[in-house]
Amino acid sequence: MTKTFSPARPIWCAGCGDFAVQGVLEKSLDSLNIPREQLMFLAGIGCSGTIQNNIKCYGYHALHGRVLPTAIGVKLANPNLTVVAAGGDGDGYAIGAGHLVHTFRSNPSLTYIVMNNSNYGLTKGQPSPTSPLGYKSNAEMDMDAILLGLSLPSTTFLARGFSGHPEQLGQLLVAALKHAEEGKGFAFIEVLSPCVTYYDTHREWASRVHNVDEDPDYNCTDRGNAFSKSLEILNNHKIPIGLLYHGEHVSLESLSLKEDCIPPALQDLNSPDSVENCKKIIQSFMG
Amino acid sequence: MTPVNGTQPVLEDLNVIVAGQGGDGSLTVVTLLAELMRDYGFNVYTERDVLSRIRGGHTAATVRAFSGDRYCIGSNIDLLVALDDEAIEKNTRHLDGNSIVIFDESGGKLTNGSLPKGIKLYSAPFNRIAMRTMRRELYRNSIAFGVVSRLIGLEDEALKKIFKKRFARLGTTVLDYNLEALDLGFGIADEFGLTNGAGLYKIKKKKAANKLLITGNESVALGFIVAGGRFYAGYPITPSSEILESLQKWLPMFGGVARQTEDELSGINMAMGAALTGARVMVGTSGPGFSLMQEGIGHAGSAEIPIVIVDCQRAGPSTGMPTKPEQSDINLMIFGGHGDFPRIVLAPGHPEDCFYLAAEATNLAFKYQCPVYISMDQGLSQNIATVDPFDLEKIEVDEGYQLDAEDLKKLDVYKRYAHTENDISPFAKPGTPGGFSLVTGNEHDEWGLVSTDPDNRVQMMKKRMNKIEHAKEHLPEARHFGNGDEKIGFIGIGMTYGVILEAMEQLEAYGVDTQFLQLRTIWPVLDEVNEFINRCDKVYVVEYNAVGQLAHLLMHQGADSGKIIKIIKYDGIPFRPREIYNRVMEENKSNNAGKKKTKKKRANSK
Ligand SMILES: Cc1ncc(C[n+]2csc(CCOP(=O)(O)OP(=O)(O)O)c2C)c(N)n1
Ligand code: SF4
Ligand SMILES: [Mg+2]
Repeated sequence: MTKTFSPARPIWCAGCGDFAVQGVLEKSLDSLNIPREQLMFLAGIGCSGTIQNNIKCYGYHALHGRVLPTAIGVKLANPNLTVVAAGGDGDGYAIGAGHLVHTFRSNPSLTYIVMNNSNYGLTKGQPSPTSPLGYKSNAEMDMDAILLGLSLPSTTFLARGFSGHPEQLGQLLVAALKHAEEGKGFAFIEVLSPCVTYYDTHREWASRVHNVDEDPDYNCTDRGNAFSKSLEILNNHKIPIGLLYHGEHVSLESLSLKEDCIPPALQDLNSPDSVENCKKIIQSFMG
Repeated sequence: MTPVNGTQPVLEDLNVIVAGQGGDGSLTVVTLLAELMRDYGFNVYTERDVLSRIRGGHTAATVRAFSGDRYCIGSNIDLLVALDDEAIEKNTRHLDGNSIVIFDESGGKLTNGSLPKGIKLYSAPFNRIAMRTMRRELYRNSIAFGVVSRLIGLEDEALKKIFKKRFARLGTTVLDYNLEALDLGFGIADEFGLTNGAGLYKIKKKKAANKLLITGNESVALGFIVAGGRFYAGYPITPSSEILESLQKWLPMFGGVARQTEDELSGINMAMGAALTGARVMVGTSGPGFSLMQEGIGHAGSAEIPIVIVDCQRAGPSTGMPTKPEQSDINLMIFGGHGDFPRIVLAPGHPEDCFYLAAEATNLAFKYQCPVYISMDQGLSQNIATVDPFDLEKIEVDEGYQLDAEDLKKLDVYKRYAHTENDISPFAKPGTPGGFSLVTGNEHDEWGLVSTDPDNRVQMMKKRMNKIEHAKEHLPEARHFGNGDEKIGFIGIGMTYGVILEAMEQLEAYGVDTQFLQLRTIWPVLDEVNEFINRCDKVYVVEYNAVGQLAHLLMHQGADSGKIIKIIKYDGIPFRPREIYNRVMEENKSNNAGKKKTKKKRANSK
């Protein structure tokens, strides 16, 4: 066997929620028998953005906020790969918020895990878009990415897990990975992953989560119901977790690439067909 | 231009400007004329002067037809087609005593004195005729076109043929109306005494015109594909959008993807994502978008991701003058981004160059695993020119240092950032068993694991920067024009190419011999530059920006600053050869200059 890099030891503080995310993710990948060389694992910048260093994979460290466009580039160039993107709430909801909206719109078949700790961990605890009003003189209301996703008609998979409930998190991650694996589109999963060092929300969140998977009134396949129920739960000062929306919409890669076509990354660049096509184009500029 | 009805001379050099309000269709008329002249066997070059809006504002398009090679518009306009008064006002300065004006007098006849003496005027209410007979002012262009072509001496049939080709896809009604309009135009020409075949020139259709009529942007797009380019990302911005549009049309034929992203931040990162998989990628943009891409480009340099960046430069800073040419991002291409990282900057001079250098850039990026720029400018990007058909045989796809599963099996260790003799590390496409790797812009060790170890840092920085040293001898060389012993030199890139060549001819005709180095690689600066400068007493660096960025770059790289003279322009208007000629003549009067030589010899490439 060729020796390649040995995964790094996590750099997280003891007790950080991100440990659970990594553990559950590795199990989920194994349970789906996804060969590790097929896994392109991209992460943003932050404490969360070091997760890819810790497991055997083709790993990539994106620029702060840019993990989604990068992951889309991977998926379009080689849809055979299992593409998983991960990052923090600052990465995904502040500096990268624009890309999240457009990824919701375009529905590429990849999994995106946001490790939400409601602050900027790596830069030492500044407020993030999910920090509550008043947190360290935060002057803004916190946002809910699931509600944002629900408001866009092209979303297909929206879920929220909690690092304190690893079993449910595992089920959600498996469902998310499957959704993307089957080419059904963008699997978005936010994980409440407390930062024990700068903003320890573990107990608070444990008491506030409301599991919709066990709520008979919550219908995750009905966008309107999902929206109003989620809002209701939030208004009761609870946080909805579970599979929050599951729908259907054509995937980006199926619209961008011809069916049964060799992916851009794997083509024979000297094929006679391609030479013929070049000649055709050149001819179109002649008289 | 010689007056009509005398003996007809052979057409050697014709400059026609069509001017009116934005949306009037002057661009369409010029494009059609260009195509027609190409089909007649001439070389053509067009230029556009438009505003960044769809309708209104003064707009002009110019076409030059020439029997030799020309990559610029001439110093004088032979024929002005003025679709309104403003067109006359704005363009009389380009006319001389021999020029001819065709004027649309729908808005009133020209007042006395609005044209310089001696200019022949053909005036008719094209717009009113179009409205009266066809109910759409759109058709006035086709009516005017009939008069223009009769005046030049083109055959009616050739025109009809090109109309059929051009308008057929818009439906038979559109075609029929345009042909009818053309006939109206011929009728007006008859009244002027410009009958079929009685125009200014004796023009015979040459044998099959074996020339492409193409823009730099289209040529870049095609060169990229030929060298294996399969993924493009872009966000619409003038003057780069045609690259996106062309590739959206063409890449699907090759199983590739051209994606319009939500912004340039997304564009550069999406392209890098595609490059991670082993696909060959390119992004294209202009000033504002290029500024947004800076972080990404530095990341590609650090993480060693192959990517081609096309910068179609326009007048900056900020949103500047979006439709006007400039070469003012030279500093940003070469010195932009935070930190030190390797990069290569190529600079084509005409569409043919664009094709071959885009292919070269695609290969270089892949081979050296670093960002490679193609420095364009608005003129080079959007002006249409005739060039020889591209030769696919000349282009080979460089496979780079890639490992497949078999190669990997034979290795004991695989390190994505391994130090090697030529500082290029092996790369395995994700999905390949045994090729696990980490790719990051953080400083990293050979495995791709984050590291701040000082020794590692120094070694890694050196490895990356050294790639450019290794690349040097494989980079596109400049083209040299002249004998090599002339004392006055020119250096220029991009759209200065054609103007400098023509100015050289004009200077030579008056006894001032010059040589010209058309740079095709501007970073790293190659030894050829100082060798050239050392051979000259003075060197004019001709460029489109306010401070002389190219001149400064060369001085920074050791050029003798005592010899460098800047010729700069940043008013948004392309140089005319005469401007360069005047400037050089003025400063070199004491020489044997000023006497017209009888024998003219063309600057030749060597
Ligand atoms: C363009 C840019 N701006 C700022 C930073 C500095 N920075 C690094 S991580 C980070 C915030 C991380 O917060 P989050 O994404 O929530 O990740 P966490 O550390 O909480 O997991 C910031 C602002 C950067 N790397 N790049
Ligand atoms: S600072 Fe917070 S988020 Fe970062 S590793 Fe420590 S606990 Fe986790
Ligand atoms: Mg965070």
